[in-house]
Amino acid sequence: MSTVEHSGAGSGGLVGPGGDSGRDPVRTVVRGIGELLITAGLVVLLFVVYEVYVTDIMSAAKQRDATAELDQQWQQSTPEAERQRTENYNRPEGQGIAKMYIPAFGADYAFTILQGTTEETLEVGPGRYTDSGEPGAPGNFAVAGHRVGKGAPFNDIDLLESCDAIVVETQYSWFVYRVLPKRDEVASWATTKGADPRCAGTGPLGGEYSGVVGQQIVAPSDGSVILPVPGRADVRPDKGQEAALMTLTTCHPRFSDRERLIVHAVMVKQWAKNPDQPGETPPELKETS
Amino acid sequence: MYGWIWRHLPGPLAVRAITAFVLVAGVVALLMFVVFPWVEPMLPFNQVTTE
Repeated sequence: MSTVEHSGAGSGGLVGPGGDSGRDPVRTVVRGIGELLITAGLVVLLFVVYEVYVTDIMSAAKQRDATAELDQQWQQSTPEAERQRTENYNRPEGQGIAKMYIPAFGADYAFTILQGTTEETLEVGPGRYTDSGEPGAPGNFAVAGHRVGKGAPFNDIDLLESCDAIVVETQYSWFVYRVLPKRDEVASWATTKGADPRCAGTGPLGGEYSGVVGQQIVAPSDGSVILPVPGRADVRPDKGQEAALMTLTTCHPRFSDRERLIVHAVMVKQWAKNPDQPGETPPELKETS
Repeated sequence: MYGWIWRHLPGPLAVRAITAFVLVAGVVALLMFVVFPWVEPMLPFNQVTTE
């Protein structure tokens, strides 16, 4: 307290109402507490700004680097690999493996999917569960992504409608997935969206897959959503019977990690890229409504 | 607290204002680049994977 008194008298700087505010110890303490509380409030506000905006800026730079790195990787394949045109998804944690597009979110919605789902990887972009399936292959290609901050690649996946396209680009192929019918659409699918030729192949899946719908909300501990047959740890379909699924996971509700939002999609089309026409893109990319 | 800091900043008003601004900017930078990234993984709202 002596410092306060000394300085208050000495410099004659800020002097509150009454002129001797710096000298009353009770007033000093109360004011100090008040200032601390206001500061704490400002720090929390600043954290919100950090979480929602600043991490976006940092992640955007990392995502750009990852995309550039993947593009380079795709270009400098060996002549041997070029002849065989076999995909290589066996890349180390944090490296790009494919690109994803969701035309319904606009023509500029593009993210490089990385290998792995650690904190550092998901800061860069959506990450593939390392043990899950490969893009375009029978099985379940499962990808996690942030919903708030960090580029928020999966910010709006709750708005994905059934039949919306999720296009995955790999080194040699394009894979078109479509979101499966939602629970309340399954019964009437054939007469509603099922009649749309665009949605061919998207209908409710049968057999072991009959419980798999376009969107579900599960507990964070429910890892079964990324199994080859989502939600069914007990079955493993025969080769040839296995559907090529894609599963997106993110947190739910937004700004909380109480639950997880899950979107399931099924592959309906695939193209091999034409080496003679490198710029060619699938028509689904233009489904920007 | 803030009054105390302000009174202890040296120099004329303009210099003090600049010093104060630099101090605030330093604290904000420390929070943004060191404290927040460190504290963030421990907070319960950005876990996106299932286990």
